[in-house]
Amino acid sequence: MGKSYVITSGKGGVGKTTSSANIGTALAMLGKKVCLLDLDIGLRNLDVVLGLDNRIMYDIVDVATGRAKLAQALVKDKRFDDLLYLLPAAQNADKSALNQDQVVEIVDELKPDFDYILIDCPAGIEQGFMNAIAGADSAIIVTTPEISAVRDADRVVGLLEQHPLQESPHLIINRIRQHMMKDGSVMDVDEITHHLGVELLGIIIDDDAVISTSNHGEPIVLQPDNPAGQGYRDIARRLEGESVPLMELKDETQPSFWKKIGNWFKKG
Amino acid sequence: MQDPAVLKGTKDGYEIILDDNAKVDDIFVSLHHLLDNLRTQTASANPQTIAFDIYTGMRLWSADDRSEIEKIFANYDYFSVHKITSDVITKEESNRILEQESVHIVDRIIRNGQEVHVQGDVLFLGKVHEGGKLLVSGNVYVLGDVRGVIQAGTPDFEDKMIIGDVHNAQQVRIGEQFEILDDTNRKIDNSTVIYVNDLHVLDYGKVEALKQINPKFFNQIGGVMNG
Repeated sequence: MGKSYVITSGKGGVGKTTSSANIGTALAMLGKKVCLLDLDIGLRNLDVVLGLDNRIMYDIVDVATGRAKLAQALVKDKRFDDLLYLLPAAQNADKSALNQDQVVEIVDELKPDFDYILIDCPAGIEQGFMNAIAGADSAIIVTTPEISAVRDADRVVGLLEQHPLQESPHLIINRIRQHMMKDGSVMDVDEITHHLGVELLGIIIDDDAVISTSNHGEPIVLQPDNPAGQGYRDIARRLEGESVPLMELKDETQPSFWKKIGNWFKKG
Repeated sequence: MQDPAVLKGTKDGYEIILDDNAKVDDIFVSLHHLLDNLRTQTASANPQTIAFDIYTGMRLWSADDRSEIEKIFANYDYFSVHKITSDVITKEESNRILEQESVHIVDRIIRNGQEVHVQGDVLFLGKVHEGGKLLVSGNVYVLGDVRGVIQAGTPDFEDKMIIGDVHNAQQVRIGEQFEILDDTNRKIDNSTVIYVNDLHVLDYGKVEALKQINPKFFNQIGGVMNG
């Protein structure tokens, strides 16, 4: 029997979809069977990030309204034989096209066949959010070190307290710029975690490759040396119950002695 | 046998005592008699309206029966009911009073977008995050961390106070008065008292000066006035 997680943030653009794709892929790399559910109806893009957009036949609204069977609508990611599936969102419908009961029904139908069901929640706290949390056993809240994202995360934690899930929520701090955190111009990891009072699941260091790889439909976790990919792989292992130490932030603002000399030569 | 409805003069006016052991119907009949008699006795050239206090002893009258009493009075031009009192209250009412009078300990995180309403006084040990609101009808004693909005005397009681360190708060409100702390240069620490002064403006004082700021409250908590 699988477990369902909703990946949510309140604020848009903090990396919910990227996190969903990468955590899902990382879990599949660990040999787990994963189904990703895109609930961002009308603005689907989890399929794009995974490079599966050309394989969609049916979507979640088709399944909910009985136009298609669940098995027909699931899109398989061929890179992980039989481990990673996606149930895409509908494009030509809005968020009221689904209700909470339908989401619960779909998740319950998926649970026996999968180890993890990851629900990609739309931004906002309206119907789409309520649908997404209805089907979830636990929540992963994504935030960035920006105040506005932390505020919205705080709001979402509050809403989750009003509609408690089986398990208390987890936190991912995304898009960490190490030098800004080091020099104190943004809240640091401890501050954010302490402020929100939510258990920290992992941190993701900001990296240009996250965007460039997702443009190719290839999640960053597939890159063995990338720090952001490492962050997502750590998160997957923590979800599996391993205790993985938190990644250390490096201080980029202070280049080493030899680098300084190197730069000096470059300038000349 | 004594009449179930008896008239008595008090220093505040007239009181009609309704026997708490008599049948309600008997009381109504007796009340009619009493008022009839009174009308003939008080008939004069320029009659004045008399408002009666009604005392019901150990019986709690239902809302229906109360309106029945008022209906009886409505038949007489110059008589009216001032108030109906008794020695007993409902459990609901007593709970309400209890809630209003006691100090509630609130130890939770009030997050962005959440509003917590409390009747009575609050000892606040938790956190109010930015965008959260703690709205209290009584006084608030703050030992926790307030970074949102805190209001004492909700909705419009200006005799309430906020005591404690709220220097991180976005707004402090008492009754209908408010202040955006960013706009002020107040020194606030854990011995600060925020209150509404005689000019109906928020003011800041020290706990040591509580006796001057709010003597009534000072008495209530057991301070020695002339000590």
